Amino acid sequence: MSDALRNVGAIAGKELRSYFVSPMAWVMMGLFALIFAYFYLLHVSAFVEESLRSSMSQFGGPSQAVNVNMRLIRPLLSNASVIILFLLPMVTMRTYAEEKRSGTVELLLTSPLTDVEIVIGKFLGAIGLYGALLGVTLIYIGLLFVYGRPEALPVLSGYVGLFLLGSCFISMGLFISSTTKNQMVAGTATFVFSLLFWIIGWLSDVAWSWLAPIVSYLSVTQHFDDFGKGIIDTKHLVFYLSFIAFWLFLTLKSVDSERWRG
Amino acid sequence: MIEVRHLTKRYGPVTAVDDVSFRVEKGEILGFLGPNGAGKTTTMRIVTGYIPATDGTATVAGFNVFTHPLEAKRRTGYLPETPPLYPEMTVREYLTFVARIKLGKTTKTERTAKVEAAMKRTHVDDAAGKHCAKLSKGYRQRVGIAQAILHDPEVLVLDEPTAGLDPKQIIETRDLIRGLAGSHTIVLSTHILPEVEQTCQRVVIINKGRVVAIDTPESLTHQLKGAASLYVQLEGDGAAAAALSAIPGVHAVKEADRHERFVGYEIEVEPTRDVRRDLARTIVNKGWGLLELRPMRVGLEEIFLELTEEDAATNADGPAPSAPEDKPHV
Repeated sequence: MSDALRNVGAIAGKELRSYFVSPMAWVMMGLFALIFAYFYLLHVSAFVEESLRSSMSQFGGPSQAVNVNMRLIRPLLSNASVIILFLLPMVTMRTYAEEKRSGTVELLLTSPLTDVEIVIGKFLGAIGLYGALLGVTLIYIGLLFVYGRPEALPVLSGYVGLFLLGSCFISMGLFISSTTKNQMVAGTATFVFSLLFWIIGWLSDVAWSWLAPIVSYLSVTQHFDDFGKGIIDTKHLVFYLSFIAFWLFLTLKSVDSERWRG
Repeated sequence: MIEVRHLTKRYGPVTAVDDVSFRVEKGEILGFLGPNGAGKTTTMRIVTGYIPATDGTATVAGFNVFTHPLEAKRRTGYLPETPPLYPEMTVREYLTFVARIKLGKTTKTERTAKVEAAMKRTHVDDAAGKHCAKLSKGYRQRVGIAQAILHDPEVLVLDEPTAGLDPKQIIETRDLIRGLAGSHTIVLSTHILPEVEQTCQRVVIINKGRVVAIDTPESLTHQLKGAASLYVQLEGDGAAAAALSAIPGVHAVKEADRHERFVGYEIEVEPTRDVRRDLARTIVNKGWGLLELRPMRVGLEEIFLELTEEDAATNADGPAPSAPEDKPHV
């Protein structure tokens, strides 16, 4: 067991390292910070205006404080989830594709490692970079805690949701990357498939009644909503975790079948 | 140390490796020789556990590579055709990563020691801080070998270790490989014939996925031409051919070259009979000057061509018996 953990750690460490020694991780963090800052600015100014208006309101009862969690943090995290939809395909596109193109996959597959260790290691490496990306946003959210008094728990659950949502994209991206030598193909396909699972829920408005519950269940965003509201529901946890496990399992199968096909 | 039995690999209708069997004893260097596309790389990939075989077994240090892959891989070092380097890592970082995934439970100090030792042995220690992307071809190849020997494997599998190197690097790499023999059992593939003659104790010649010969380079050289040949160069009037063919034991005399009064002859003789004394006596008695008398060596090159073409001839029912790309690149 400790053998497996050590190997997973070695692979994950190598992945993380290769993200951070190349400009990629830094550029991504910078861009993420920039776009997040943009949304932050929009929401904060809208929020300030709204609170002003509500405190000055003369009609209807006592003035009510606007909820910073509901009116500011929740939409902000929801925006962050849109940004990662665009960014994460770029994180995962190289994971396998690049190793196959450069031939380093031969080193991994002829070293005393199991496929599971390699897949989990790569997954955790990408998760590590994603964690760093989310870490950037904590600075902004931290400011809200300094100047306001948001509730901590919904923020926490929102981050849990965001983390799981991103992990879904990563596991799917890992699988897609394992099927091709071409990074661009991997990145594009990952983006398209992520988008598909994002928008598939919209179908529930128009689809025949029997299809509606299925598509809304498959939608990765519908499961995210509750996390934003501060609810951690097991059914959403189960969905996300099984979604991740499903794609990791397919990655494993893909790596294995690649061997047979050479 | 390595035992391959009836190995077959098919990709759909294409048979890349067809019923290949061979053994490599401990400490031996085995050369795997064949034209491009003969199935060398596929066989090596199977032995190293990179791809599974369709049929047959491969055993490394007593471990079946299909049923006990981790044990076998722990005992195997593998240099693929392109050294598997991560461009963004320095040589030392790269080898440290390799140490982590290959050595299992070790302390950091032990790993560092192994990394330093491997770099010393392959003479890449002066580039330890360089990024792999910036290495020259020779260094890349040597870092690839460093990676393969890092965990002191009992078995080394080297796929074209000298491909793309300059002559000086080729000699260095060959010396390195010879230095590794003894403590390691080595299989190396090449399509360069002199390499096999110079480094290997035994040769497997493979063509179109099938083994066409297994032997030592010397005995392959000996056994293949039924009749032996001698080369004689003498100074004379150029009419020596008739006199020489009259000597008992001489089958045929052919003029090979002529520079003014110096004439060279290829003389086919009975392999069991040494006619060199008679030849020399005849030449001297006739008053010709004897300049050179030596047995003609049949190079591996010729054997190789003979074997691979023979094979093509027996397969004449197949499509295009000897396509240009089947010719060895020498």
